[in-house]
Amino acid sequence: MKRVLEGSHAVAEAVRLAKVQVISAYPITPQTHIVEILSEYCTKGMLKAKFLRVESEHSCMAALIGAESTGVRAFTATSGQGLTLMHELLHWASGARLPIVMAEVNRALAPGWNIWVDQTDSLAQRDTGWIQIYCEDGQEVLDSTLQAFRLAEAVNLPVMIILDAFYLSHTYEPVDVPSQEEVDQFLPPFVPKFQLDTAHPCGFGPLVPPSDYMEMRYDIAMSMERALERFDEIDTAFAAQFNRRYGPVQAIECEDADIVFITTGTVTSTCRLVLQDLRAKGEKVGILKLRLFRPFPVEQIRERLKSAKKVAVVDRNFSFGASGIFTQEVRAALCNMSDHPTVFGFVAGIGGRDITPELLEMIYWQTKNSDVPKKESVWMGLREVKNAD
Amino acid sequence: MNQAKNPNSLFMPRTYLTTESNKTGSWRFLCPRYDEKTSPCSATCPAGEDIARIEMLTTQGLFKEAWETILRENPFPSVCGRVCFHPCEGQCNRREFDTAVAIHSLERFLADTAIRYGIKPDVEKRSSQKQKIAVIGAGPAGLSAAWFLSMLGYNCHVFEASTEAGGVLRWGIPLYRLPLNALRHDIHQIETRGITIYTGKPVSPDVLEIMKKDYDAIFIGCGHRRGMSMNVPGEDLKEVSEGLDLLRKLREGEMPSCPGVSAIIGGGNTAIDVSRSVVRLGGKALLLYRRRRQDMPALELEVEMALEEGVELQELVAPAAVTREGDQVVLTLQEMKIAGEEGGRGRVVPDEGKTRKVRIDRIFKAIGAQADEPWYQPPAGASGLLRLSHTVLVRGNLGPVMIFGGDLTNETKSVVHAVASGKQAAMALDTLFQEGLEAIVPKLETCRVGEGPSLSMEIYMGGERRLRNPHVVRYEEINTDYFGFIPRVTEPRLLKEERVQSFEEIDLKISANLAMRESERCFNCGLCNQCDNCFIFCPDTSVIRDKDHQGRHINYDYCKGCGLCVVECPRNAMSLEEEKS
Amino acid sequence: MPTEIMDREFVYSGHVGCPGCGATIAMRFVLKALGEKTIMVLPACCWSVITGPYPLSALKIPVIHAAFETGGATASGVRAALDMQGDTDTTVLTWAGDGGTFDIGFQALSGAVERNENFLYVCYDNEAYMNTGIQRSSSTPYGAWTTTTTGQDWKKLRKKKIVEVLVAHRIPYVATASIAFPDDLLRKTLKAKETKGSKFLHIYASCPTGWRIPSEMSVKIARMAVQTNIFPLYEVEDGRRYIINYKPKEYLVREYFKLQGRFKHLTDHDLDQIQQMVNEDWELLLNKAGDRV
Repeated sequence: MKRVLEGSHAVAEAVRLAKVQVISAYPITPQTHIVEILSEYCTKGMLKAKFLRVESEHSCMAALIGAESTGVRAFTATSGQGLTLMHELLHWASGARLPIVMAEVNRALAPGWNIWVDQTDSLAQRDTGWIQIYCEDGQEVLDSTLQAFRLAEAVNLPVMIILDAFYLSHTYEPVDVPSQEEVDQFLPPFVPKFQLDTAHPCGFGPLVPPSDYMEMRYDIAMSMERALERFDEIDTAFAAQFNRRYGPVQAIECEDADIVFITTGTVTSTCRLVLQDLRAKGEKVGILKLRLFRPFPVEQIRERLKSAKKVAVVDRNFSFGASGIFTQEVRAALCNMSDHPTVFGFVAGIGGRDITPELLEMIYWQTKNSDVPKKESVWMGLREVKNAD
Repeated sequence: MNQAKNPNSLFMPRTYLTTESNKTGSWRFLCPRYDEKTSPCSATCPAGEDIARIEMLTTQGLFKEAWETILRENPFPSVCGRVCFHPCEGQCNRREFDTAVAIHSLERFLADTAIRYGIKPDVEKRSSQKQKIAVIGAGPAGLSAAWFLSMLGYNCHVFEASTEAGGVLRWGIPLYRLPLNALRHDIHQIETRGITIYTGKPVSPDVLEIMKKDYDAIFIGCGHRRGMSMNVPGEDLKEVSEGLDLLRKLREGEMPSCPGVSAIIGGGNTAIDVSRSVVRLGGKALLLYRRRRQDMPALELEVEMALEEGVELQELVAPAAVTREGDQVVLTLQEMKIAGEEGGRGRVVPDEGKTRKVRIDRIFKAIGAQADEPWYQPPAGASGLLRLSHTVLVRGNLGPVMIFGGDLTNETKSVVHAVASGKQAAMALDTLFQEGLEAIVPKLETCRVGEGPSLSMEIYMGGERRLRNPHVVRYEEINTDYFGFIPRVTEPRLLKEERVQSFEEIDLKISANLAMRESERCFNCGLCNQCDNCFIFCPDTSVIRDKDHQGRHINYDYCKGCGLCVVECPRNAMSLEEEKS
Repeated sequence: MPTEIMDREFVYSGHVGCPGCGATIAMRFVLKALGEKTIMVLPACCWSVITGPYPLSALKIPVIHAAFETGGATASGVRAALDMQGDTDTTVLTWAGDGGTFDIGFQALSGAVERNENFLYVCYDNEAYMNTGIQRSSSTPYGAWTTTTTGQDWKKLRKKKIVEVLVAHRIPYVATASIAFPDDLLRKTLKAKETKGSKFLHIYASCPTGWRIPSEMSVKIARMAVQTNIFPLYEVEDGRRYIINYKPKEYLVREYFKLQGRFKHLTDHDLDQIQQMVNEDWELLLNKAGDRV
């Protein structure tokens, strides 16, 4: 049924339809609406779940680790500072092979306090063993969240569904909310592969010496690799049922493009407009929307970019001392190809600054007019900085 | 541990085995073990009774077993529970905590209970031996010898001159201390072992010669019946008699009248017995002792009760002469004075020139006794003579072995020492017959309770007591954290007004409830009473309960030697030693 | 204590606890009382290691090892999941040391009990971060040496009163217990098991290694702590009703301190001061229990 929902609400609907059993919640702008709506659902009985009003995000994740280890489907949502506070336990969740699903709203990191969109927070977690999916619009948010549970439970790795602060979390859009019966067909109840069970006692997460630890980590690595296949299978199954397919990447007019934008999140929507304009002017431009970030879909990216001459990666994030993170990852994916496009990295929209169509056009022209990138990442739209003295 | 390895094909940090494959016993450098030790009371008891165990069984309500434990070392619990001077209580570790355990009363309680319920004891007896043994004198020494010999399988015949067995127990101790049925029970108990007591059969030297042909060994326990002389003029007057004779008359059922004042010379238990008997006969008793009250060898409690009952004590006086004046007797007393210490008692010398006279109606001597006949004594200088702590053994080239015991050979003349000598005689004879003369001393060494000289028949016969460590547990070795202050049971007795009316037994019975509460006060020094502290506190779950005698064992595969079990054992029944590499 | 409880075992031999370890004695007792329908949350502490390395476990119940500071939070999640599975029988037990309770785990503990989560939190207190090698915690008592309070810098701050903190949260049941008083400890654990809501047990668990005492003195020291009023045995119900379980022998604290190497630097003056502090605290406690008018 089509409804007009903000992104946060779309997450909440998916969680309800997925019949999550334990939710832990700690508020932080701009994810708070997600947990508030879920709290109401629980109180009204629309969702039969335990709602834990924990006292910090770190405890949020700890509670979910406890719950999922006991064998129930569990969920939380966070953002920015909350996500970084959880960092230790993000490693723990994947190391413990727990299929936890979390909605993460990209928000800039303090100091100074900044509640607006910035991707550094989720990208700083890229090593934690979580599957990461970046969403462009409300429908995608709802659909990805439903898919996330099935994917997580298939490979026993946690999944993060990522939305832009305000531009996605608080923007109302028409969203087709499936019925419970339809979702039940797609997403069966959680059957844990292991759980805390007094009838079969054992210890989870004990001291592991060098003789065994490496193999356990290798197992995680292999599961991440298998996640790529599972992702496709689930994507296909979802499409068969709901007629919507997303893929790990979405290539928009890349076949004959000389220059391809690589975008994530809501920037993709803006870029689609820019694409139309530029194409109208005869420019051979395309967009490769990056959706699945972990595991990084190397094959897909190489395939889609094989005929491009240049790539312009738009990073709403930065790794100090290196470059924009998507830029790094794309470069790494392409470098072993014998013939690959030059990768231009652009940092824009940090801390919620608007990425306008004009800015994107500037990025296009700069890319077209340069043979090689001036720097690893070029920061776009900076003002003159006046020091206070 | 039930979950199999990787049933779900994820290689993840999840355990599937227990730590039991890790044998932490290799960590040990100190090793604990169960090591029952010797309690000071049992080491002090001349009969070596296993007192800690007796009290433990009593606390558990196992009165029959407790009584049997006494019988293994002493066939006279009913007697000793009334008349023993209980040196055990003087060494009881509990006295350093609050007050000594009332071991003496508990022994009596157990004997009374056995009598009350007609319990038949199950005490070990070896298979029959071929040697025949005669015992002369059915006093405590002779009867004990017969008892222990019978435990060892020997056929014993006891010959008693008087009409009933018991010796000093029958004829010398007043009824108010030792009622007849109490004595008869113990004697009857001995007889049911198959020992034949021939009463009214005095043995003269001629009879002895004949007996020597029929028996392989003869035990002589004739005791000290003859009073000692005061060596003062007038001693032969008719008003002067032996205290022991009065006591004997009373025990024969007579009630000789003792009007007026009777003087009793002496300071031992016999003197006290005579004094208190005089009171009960309606007379006045004047007890005259050459030293001070605290020097008197009699039991302090006896002295105290005597004084309560109206006996008058005059200290530091010795008899100098006896004369008759009219129908009264005049006793001239030499006053004595203290001139130093000897053997823990005051040494007295006459206070020159100081004498006084007392007018009395009769005098009873109670200054000691000696053997009636010379052949009662071990022949000095005989070849083949072996002098042990409580007996003297003479093995000539011809004829049976002669062995002397009881008051004849004991330094301390008491019932329990008589029992000890009977036991020692039995062990000595048995060892002689089985292994030879040279084996006696070393064999008896192995039967010591603690450092000795008390011996244990249970050890001699190879019982579990032989496994006990002879180390005597000191108070410092008890973990007193596990004990609270509890007052000692008040032993009930007749009031003094009631006491002097008759020869009724003074001490009254205590109930099983009181007895068990009192025996619970016993620390059971060195014995395991199954409190399970070792099991409770072991951090390594290495004390495993099982069904054997000890009740538990240490799993040395895992024991790390922390020593907690040893320290938390309240009664030092464990030891911690260096691990043998 | 009924034999069926005292006799059952949930700790296997072969664990790697130090000889004489008070924490292992505490574990044996608590699990005897709780029985096999127990799930343990085990944040980082000595017991994380004692339980043995992969693939071994010394415990006969399921255990989830948790990050150091998450004892209260992880337990909340386990409890919620069990409730959703319709299991109201299984006890959720957080087993944490003083570090994971008083310090780094304080927030999660406070949060969980403020929500009155239905679980039992047991803090076995060996009065320092022992697992990492004897560093001070806020549970380390006044006067103690640790590797981070050495020489003249011995700890001059008093032990945090964790029980009073929990009492302030008004949870149904808080109690102290000592390994030297097994019947009391088991009784309290059973009582906690039967109570709904948050329960907290503060167990005194001697550490021979960290306190510099001989291994065989573990239990005796634990007994003396109670007998000197340093560690009184008491319970508090619903944040209000104080019950003192044991009127001690009131030995001088000196007796307790002189037996431990970690206190050997204390002078008579120091010990007198400490005696004052202990007396004050005991008076306070008596007041709360209504024993002094």
